[in-house]
Amino acid sequence: MKSEGMSKDSGETKIVRTTSAFDCGGRCPIRLHVRDGVIIRVEGDDTAGPDEQLRACLRCRAYRKHIHHPDRLKYPLKRVGPKGAGEFDRISWDEAYNTIVEKLKYVKEKYGNSSIFLASGGGYLAALHNGASAMARLFNQIGGFSTSYGNVSSEGAVWACLTQYGSVMVGNSREDLLNSKLIILWGWDPARMISGTNTMYHVIKAREAGAKIISIDPRYTDSAVVLADEWVPIKPGTDTAVMASMAYVMIKEDLHDQAFLDKYTLGFDKFKDYVLGIEDGIEKTPAWAEAISGVPTVTIEQLAREYATTKPAALMDCQGPARSAIGEQYNRCAMTLCAMTGNVGRPGGSAGGGLMGIPVGHMFRASGIPAGKNPAEAGGPSVRGTLDLNLRLARRVHINKMHDAFLKGKKGGYPFDVKFLWSVANNHLNQLGDANKGARAYASLDFMVAPELFMTPTARYADIVLPVTSPAERNDLTRPWPSGPYYTHINQAIEPLGECKSDLDIATDLAERFGIKDFKPFTDEEYLRMFVEKNPETGPEVKDYEKFRREGVHRVKLPEPIVAFKEQIEDLENNPFPTPSGKIEIFSQRAADIENPEQVPPIPKYRRTKEDRFDPLTEKYPLQLISPHPKTRDHSSLYKVEWLQEVEPHRAWINSKDAEARGIEDNDEIYVFNDRGKIAIKAWVTERIIPSVISISEGTWYDPDEQGIDRGGCVNVLTSDDYSPGGAAILKTALVQVSKA
Amino acid sequence: MQIGFYFDQTRCTGCGACQVACKDWHDLLAGPEKWMRILYTEKGKFPDVFVSYLVGPCFHCIDPVCIPACPVNAISKRKEDGIVVVDSQACLGSEACDFKCLKACPYDAPQFDQELGSKMQKCNFCLDRWAEEKLPVCVEACPTRALDAGSLQELESRYGQVREAEGFSYSKRTKPAVVFKPK
Repeated sequence: MKSEGMSKDSGETKIVRTTSAFDCGGRCPIRLHVRDGVIIRVEGDDTAGPDEQLRACLRCRAYRKHIHHPDRLKYPLKRVGPKGAGEFDRISWDEAYNTIVEKLKYVKEKYGNSSIFLASGGGYLAALHNGASAMARLFNQIGGFSTSYGNVSSEGAVWACLTQYGSVMVGNSREDLLNSKLIILWGWDPARMISGTNTMYHVIKAREAGAKIISIDPRYTDSAVVLADEWVPIKPGTDTAVMASMAYVMIKEDLHDQAFLDKYTLGFDKFKDYVLGIEDGIEKTPAWAEAISGVPTVTIEQLAREYATTKPAALMDCQGPARSAIGEQYNRCAMTLCAMTGNVGRPGGSAGGGLMGIPVGHMFRASGIPAGKNPAEAGGPSVRGTLDLNLRLARRVHINKMHDAFLKGKKGGYPFDVKFLWSVANNHLNQLGDANKGARAYASLDFMVAPELFMTPTARYADIVLPVTSPAERNDLTRPWPSGPYYTHINQAIEPLGECKSDLDIATDLAERFGIKDFKPFTDEEYLRMFVEKNPETGPEVKDYEKFRREGVHRVKLPEPIVAFKEQIEDLENNPFPTPSGKIEIFSQRAADIENPEQVPPIPKYRRTKEDRFDPLTEKYPLQLISPHPKTRDHSSLYKVEWLQEVEPHRAWINSKDAEARGIEDNDEIYVFNDRGKIAIKAWVTERIIPSVISISEGTWYDPDEQGIDRGGCVNVLTSDDYSPGGAAILKTALVQVSKA
Repeated sequence: MQIGFYFDQTRCTGCGACQVACKDWHDLLAGPEKWMRILYTEKGKFPDVFVSYLVGPCFHCIDPVCIPACPVNAISKRKEDGIVVVDSQACLGSEACDFKCLKACPYDAPQFDQELGSKMQKCNFCLDRWAEEKLPVCVEACPTRALDAGSLQELESRYGQVREAEGFSYSKRTKPAVVFKPK
């Protein structure tokens, strides 16, 4: 009897304190109840009182259904049918390894190491059993490999932050939100996109402490539902225009903090000339911005006044709107507003920039297995800190163009021809722009290996699929995305399922077959201890590794909330900003030096782009498409978990006006299409989205039928595989049409 | 003693963590059987739209109407804490009694899985946890701390006696054991 039973918690059940390793901003301590080698329950953090607990979201609450899903891959497989058809036969590890080694040696000999491509993503964010670093280490030791540049999520924001501040550590710790009097959620939906555990809870607490909250978004998000005093619907891709006109109001009404600008920034005058129309003859008035964005003049004026006069105020410009055709300008303009209002480096304020990272517990500062130098990239230009994408792409391909590079290779102007693909911890076919092109690209490859937990749309194209253990099946170290401050430990809960191995073990086995000595000179335990004790951050902080491991979490006690650039604002002379000028660069000479002022303006500017809402293509495809994070998956991970699927069916948000015009009723099957492809999905007719915009959450699995209509509703069938001048994957700038199926 | 729930509707993002945690704790299949549900309300026209979420556990009514509705007395209310429990062995199954308990309940608390003739089950206030003086798993799972539970009297003194919320209507007949902070 399952309902009233108490037998489940008998003495045989052990509790394992651990965490997941999804590509998610939270890294929540969870307690797995394990009996007879099976996880039977999941409980949350209990290492603090209810208010301080690091509470997991629904995704990890369903963790065991992911780990023990009947579709988990358990044995090595070789493809026996056409690529993409999903027909595989079970083989032994020996056969898999022999095939791989033979193929690697052949490709290396015949085409050279640059034909070996390592594609990795955010599928496993932990230190030790990380497939990307393990394989990079292996490939480097056999002569090198090619790979991609950039990540799908944040390049627009990263470029903007490096330009403006010379640093990506632009966040305040979450407690600091309680010091804010006004919080502007610009394209930010923390209820759904977990920007750090408890982030939404902290914004709720800030609201309850009296902060006013405004949400600027094409959708009335669940965050706005709970938080927003005001929702400002906005057309996608027009954020920068609204921000520029807010600057216009501030300048005209003398609401900006000139003393702050004089002391801490460079080039405000040039931005002012642009805003006032002195530079290009167009005054960036609220009326100008209204025509672009759909946001009424009066709303923009109020917004500008309110943001300029409420102190302190936190402008939280998320990365989402920057994942667009010239998205980096949006984060740059937001940062400029933060400076104009004197909110940078001040408690309760914000520096903007979208990354929201703090330098404590940050993922970037974790230790891992050293990959070593890549001989195949030797002699390339130095790219450290550069804003020039051409340098970054001299030896690499932009991640969103990866599939194009598979198809075209050197003839297409890419630095290599890919003959061997190792595709790990990603589902790129599904998650990069233009999924149909992606499918063609994988079909064109000579040879592909995919270590995986599930037969993803990407893995279906592999020649060899290797079964990988989940984080419940080994020990490792994790950190939250940009916002700790805490560290987490993965503790093994169950034995590896079937014949699953970790990516590191796979790399180690292969290294042995290549005769590489000391590929993995330490045991897992030795590595983990070393990663903690020798890391300059965790070394002094975690005094007792065993205790950390036992508890699964170590919290860093901050004497006061971290505020980005507080040191610079308090004492600029001794703590300059890490930019060439030592100041906040509203004007960037490094951007100017790229000598592409239209695409890479040295001051932040609104720019028209391909597939924006004024593109003549709107005659054919009149609706703008956005693809926010799903709440029931982590991108495309967890897609199979039925407990999560039933929380929110996959449907396209469509305003009643657009639905009526097309004879569409709620829950009708519809087609969403453009020249790149067509998907079938159900309609959700709602007033929560601005007219002429369609919203489809990313991450459902690509599943084309015989006519090429994607029955899986994978939104990237419709998105572009281009990147912005700052390197953002252009996934939120796409025009589509919708019809009843 | 009477147990009850507190729900702060102003904090609920409708995320579903409570629903999933409930399915996990009670080991329920994916499908229609949800001991904790989330109810959605949307009103108004763009851009003046109102949205709220409401949790739907069993409210362990003070005068549960499901009890007299059951033809075989499979439902009872525990004297010591007022938790309404069902003896699934005794339950005739959905077909045999034509969902009498579900039809009687104003809050759709009685749940059945999709199999024909399945026995009724529902939120039992995480009886096993309660025996260990722990709160129901939905309460501990809520990322925004919108839920609380315990002695109804204590909840009333802590949070007040508001019995209204968007999407909820208080039944004077059954007297659900819940207090709200409504949106």
